[in-house]
Amino acid sequence: MFLAWRDLLFAKGRFLLMSMIIALVAFLMTLLSGLASGLIKNNISGLMALDVTNLAFEYNDRPNYRNSMVEREMWEGWRNAEGVVAAEPLGHTMFTARTPEDLPLDDVVLWGVEPGGFLEPDVLLGESLKGPDDGVIISALLANKHGVKLGDVIVLDRVLTKLTVIGITSEQNIGHVPVIYTPIRKWQEATYGPPGGPPPGEVLPDILFDYASVIALQLAPDTDIETVDIAWGTVTMDKQSAYEASSGYKEEVQTVKMIQGFMVVISALVIGAFFTIWTIQRTQEIGLVKALGGSNAYLLRDTMGQALILMILAVGVGTFLAVWLGLSFEQSGKPFMLVKDNIAGSSGLLIVAGLIGSMVSVRLITRIDPIIALGRTR
Amino acid sequence: MGLQVKDVVLELGDGDAQITALDHVSFGVGAGELLAVLGPSGAGKSSLLAVCGGLRHPTSGTVVIGGKPLMAMNDSQLTRLRLQSIGFVFQQSNLISSLTSLDQLLLMVHLAGRRPRKADRDHAMALLNSVDMGHRANRLPDQLSGGERQRIGIARALMTKPSLLLVDEPTSMLDQVRGHQIVALLNEQCHQHQVAAVMVTHDVSMLDAADRSLHIVDGRIQEVAVSATN
Repeated sequence: MFLAWRDLLFAKGRFLLMSMIIALVAFLMTLLSGLASGLIKNNISGLMALDVTNLAFEYNDRPNYRNSMVEREMWEGWRNAEGVVAAEPLGHTMFTARTPEDLPLDDVVLWGVEPGGFLEPDVLLGESLKGPDDGVIISALLANKHGVKLGDVIVLDRVLTKLTVIGITSEQNIGHVPVIYTPIRKWQEATYGPPGGPPPGEVLPDILFDYASVIALQLAPDTDIETVDIAWGTVTMDKQSAYEASSGYKEEVQTVKMIQGFMVVISALVIGAFFTIWTIQRTQEIGLVKALGGSNAYLLRDTMGQALILMILAVGVGTFLAVWLGLSFEQSGKPFMLVKDNIAGSSGLLIVAGLIGSMVSVRLITRIDPIIALGRTR
Repeated sequence: MGLQVKDVVLELGDGDAQITALDHVSFGVGAGELLAVLGPSGAGKSSLLAVCGGLRHPTSGTVVIGGKPLMAMNDSQLTRLRLQSIGFVFQQSNLISSLTSLDQLLLMVHLAGRRPRKADRDHAMALLNSVDMGHRANRLPDQLSGGERQRIGIARALMTKPSLLLVDEPTSMLDQVRGHQIVALLNEQCHQHQVAAVMVTHDVSMLDAADRSLHIVDGRIQEVAVSATN
């Protein structure tokens, strides 16, 4: 590393310029990582918060929450199957929420859950769903963004169902839409019943209350999922795979991963090009060192060490600046989330890509003939 | 004997383009002796230096440095031999641009796989002082004159206490006065350190400082002479 350090100090301008490019790439990589995590959180934070191991959808080649419809006998069948710790219906319908004065609030996903069941969220403020039948627990996002308070009434567009805010839970979304929780019976009434509820003096038929969207499951590790799926016409996904059933999730993650992948490849190419040009410029000196008795191993160690120093310093600076900026994004409520492991992963990947890129110069170094130190080419 | 070259032939190129750069060349240089090799451009002087320094394998013949024959060595063994037994003095531009004068010498310690200790630094400073460059120890090559760079090159070549010094056109970039000073310094150093030295030059006026000289033309030794001043 003797020559490496001296070169870094001697050719400060060139290395500074290169460091700035790498730092910029690291900066963008970290911001992208934060954006990816933020988008994931913004898309599926509601699902992430669910205390489930699996979700069973109505059988479909491409199951999703909107199209799935399960019957009572299905969730009761699951509930009684071997290895099932708990099974509960979960209703999922998207509505536009309005104030009683008919002012639009926001699109919301209404989740119907069994009051007191394992799907009911912890509330930050207010009470649980065991209270009034028309109670609703809203995502903190809805409360913060639109100033909805405990006791306020939310009206669901189209069906005109009125819900009273009884609790506020953490920021939970699905498909970038805030989730609101209501008792499953209210959800079934809103989803399958007539707009505005049953006509005066009438009750809704019982069959209305035998349907939900999916079955939320808590399974023992050795549960024979396939057999139960066949028996009840469901297709069951583990929690991680069930994220992909959320609209747009898979495409968003793929897009961000693709951008990150391109950036890693671009970094490797840029760094490879830099070290190739740098090696070509140093051909005479490398030949000289070889003529003096420097081995290929020494020169390669030196070059790779130089690349490593450059990458660590530049990536460190770029990442630090991105984290500093990212913290302000997080606080401003943008879909941005800094996750230590992801930042470390993207930084590590960038350093490895840089080292792979710099290895392009390895072949050049090994091929330099020390006779050029004598000023001859043959 | 520091260097023994016996019946060396070096052919370069293939087919019609093949030339005989060295044609049955034989000579020897003892410890503390400075041999000047003269000849016109393209005579084979540099090829001779390359073969003696293990930078080229001769087509036939033997080269022995400090009792070690080079023919049987592979590239990595030759690299090690260059580091341990051969000191090169190149034309003036051949210093590492990012290293100070002192670091040029300490580089040799790093190439040997060691971190320089105080004894190495003292040795390097003593060598710089012996070529009157102690006061320039912390200067970079572009802060030195041509003559000063050549002095640093000589000190660097002696850093590993080699048994053979190979000197390539040491005066080509210098004026007559500085050229004579450098060759005199080389002579002084190779006597002082008892190193066998081969100096390739095209400058006849430098012969006085050498103990012996040989003329090479078209890859063949034409004449061997002992310097009048020695």
